[in-house]
This record gives sequence, structure tokens and C-alpha cells, in this order.
Amino acid sequence: MVYYLILCRSLTYAQRTATALERAGITAYILRSPKRIAGEGCGYSVKIAERNLAAALLALRRAELTPKQVYLTAGDGSYREVLL
Amino acid sequence: MIYLDCAATTLQKPPAVVRAAAWAVGRLATPGRGGHPAAAQAAALAFRCREEAAALFGVADPERVIFTANATHALNIAIRSLVPPGGRVVLSGWEHNAVTRPLAALDAKVRIAATPLFRPQAALDAFRAAVEPGVDAVICTHVSNVFGYTLPVADIAALCRQRGVPLIVDAAQSAGCLPLDLDGWGAAFIAMPGHKGLYGPQGTGLLLCGRQVRTAPLLYGGTGSASASPEMPPFLPDRLEAGTHNMPGIAGLLQGLRFVRCMGTGRILAHERRLTAQAAGGLKRLSRVRVFSGPAQTGVLSFQIAGVDCEEAAARLGQMGIAVRAGLHCAPMAHESGGTFEEGTVRASFSAFNTQGEAARLVRCVARLTGR
Repeated sequence: MVYYLILCRSLTYAQRTATALERAGITAYILRSPKRIAGEGCGYSVKIAERNLAAALLALRRAELTPKQVYLTAGDGSYREVLL
Repeated sequence: MIYLDCAATTLQKPPAVVRAAAWAVGRLATPGRGGHPAAAQAAALAFRCREEAAALFGVADPERVIFTANATHALNIAIRSLVPPGGRVVLSGWEHNAVTRPLAALDAKVRIAATPLFRPQAALDAFRAAVEPGVDAVICTHVSNVFGYTLPVADIAALCRQRGVPLIVDAAQSAGCLPLDLDGWGAAFIAMPGHKGLYGPQGTGLLLCGRQVRTAPLLYGGTGSASASPEMPPFLPDRLEAGTHNMPGIAGLLQGLRFVRCMGTGRILAHERRLTAQAAGGLKRLSRVRVFSGPAQTGVLSFQIAGVDCEEAAARLGQMGIAVRAGLHCAPMAHESGGTFEEGTVRASFSAFNTQGEAARLVRCVARLTGR
């Protein structure tokens, strides 16, 4: 299944991000960032469905929340950064 | 026992606080320390607690709500963040040792905006005279822990904003009964305990951080974030929250915050003021009792009994089933300002759970001590 991971600078930021998305009607799950994309190590990401990326970015802009990075993954261990 | 030492710790808690703290033991792990359900559940609860505090205290982002062990811990972080060794600080004359001792350790140059008790306009004038450009910080208690005297913090905050000096507010006695508005005041930090007017368990406190404020960690260690870096993360709350969180405490604090929001700070304050006024009125009618009361006083009331040492008076009240606190209350500066440093005072302090019957009983017991 293809989905997006919105990398966040901290757990609390990920929680704010997920809350803003849920308020916008977008299902969002918080999870530990995969090690290979976590950068400095031990980070958190918010997972959203492929179809929701545009709406999610709009909702985050409205909430004045800035994703650190966004990755596209097919769940096969590959991660491709999405340039915003 | 009639418990009237709520300025130290509120002993009677909402039942939900006790249940939540007990529930958390054995169920909640640590936020940011794993993706498993026990860590995720802890993270969700901690976030709800931050959100609840942010909503109550005028903080736009829950990330700027920091969990601490108590108000002293929070004040130490705030002071270390803003005051360099030998730095210049302006204080009210009513500060607690939680402020004065960290400043002494930094060998800070302290100027006191000294004014008489229960004179808020004079206090504002004194700050106006003392706060000059180049001062590293103004630190002001919102309410004296000895006398229940409310300082005009909103006006002092406006003055600090005008002069570009960061303000640290010690809300140890006001959180839960007076409005606090971090972003509205533009304060650098507000420090508070979780275990007094917020009705959480001991071992909890909060530090609210202003927008763009400079922060310096007091503790260094694991945060569950940016783990490859040898330095503490630059972002809040992680930067100021090294080590494992007190999840039973935070679970209880969340319920305490909900209790306060549900009751309303205005209603809690009105109740505590009613009891304070009742006790003060009764004690004033006793011939050998000196009572310290004034306008805008909260639920903290100091008094002295002529010819009876304050510690002896508190001990005898304890024998009669009334818990009060005597001495200097960890605030020698406040006692110097109030003119009670030599003798100390007996302090009765009320919470939302005290009753008019208990205030009346205090007066009757003090009357017995005075021989009436």
C-alpha cells in the first residue's frame, strides 16, 4: 500500500500535526520514523493515505505547522523524499 | 484533620486525580521511548495534558508547556535560561527561596522593587523605577506564599514588554485560582507546581515558555528524539525534558487541570476568598491576634498570636486537629518585606475543598490558644 510519511521534529510536533489533520477530517497515525530516514535518529512521523497529501499540506499550512520532510513509501522498505 | 496547608500542597484531590495516577502505574510507559502501545498511550496522555494546560494558561502551542518536577524546578530552568552568572535581575520583595537561591548561586546582582504589603499600585511604581534597559530579567511572584498578596503581574508584564526586559512569573500560588495568560502577557516564562492549585500529585510542575524565548536545559540526557546528536535538541518540549517522565503524576495532573477548568478559576478564587475573609474576620476579633489581610487577597492568610511562638501555635493547632504551617515558609524575603522576619507567622491556606465550617473551627481553636 502506498502512503506518505510526514516527518516531524519531535513527538509533540507529530501530535500537533496529527491533531490538525484529524480536525481537517484526514486520518493520521503517529509512528516512529524509520531509522533510515530519521536523520539525527529517533524521530516521529505522521502517516497519511496517498490520496490525502494535498489536503494534508493545506491543513498544515492553515495550522501554521511545517513538516520537516515528506516521504512516499510503498511499504516495501523504499522511501522517496517528496520535494515540497 | 482539617487541612489548611494548601499553599504547600493541596492534600484533598478530586477523586479522578487519585484514580488516574493509580491507573497509570503499570499501564503507561514513557512518551517518545518506543512505538508500542504503552508508550503511545503515554504519549497521547502527555499531549492531552499539555493541551489542557495550554488552553488554561493562554499558550498557543502545547509544545511550550514543559513538564517539571515542581515549581522550583521550573523556576531554576527559567532563571538558568535568562540570567548569566553575575547578571542583573529585578525582583519583587515577596519572592520565595525557589527564586532567591538560584540567583544567589549565580551571584546575580539583585535589585528589589520593595513596597509595603497589599499595595499593588506602589509595587507597579517600584518596578517602573527599577526596571532599566540592560536588566537580564524581572522575576515576580504572582501571589505571596506567605500573605496571599496578589501582585499586579499583568501590569508588570506590560511594563517589561515596553522596556524589552524578559519577565519570569512565579505562579506557585496563583495557578488554578487566578487567570494566567502567557502569550497575552508576553512573559518569557511562567512557572507553577502541579500539586497545589492544580490538584495534581506531588512531583509535578509546569514551565510555560514564551514565544522565541531563549532556553537552557538544566538536565541533559535522553529525550527519545534526535538521539544521534550529542547535544540536547533545540526544540521544545524535548530540550527541557531530559529523562523519563513522571507519567502517574502527569495522568493525575491532567485530571486536576480538567477539574480546575470545569470549576473555573473565578469560582475557586471566590470560594477561597470567602473562607479567607471569614477566617480573617474571626481572628481579628481576638484580642492577641494580629492578622495580615488586605484587598485582592487569595486563599492564603498569615497571623501571629502575641506571646505564643508561631511554631508552638502551629503545633498546638495540630494537636487540635488543624494542619497549618508556621515559620518563614521558605520565603525570608517576604517576611522581611512584611516585617515578620523575627517572629515568623502562622499560615492557614485554603483550597476548593475547604468549608466555612473548617474556617470557623480554625477561629475557635485559635481563640482557645489565646485563652478565650
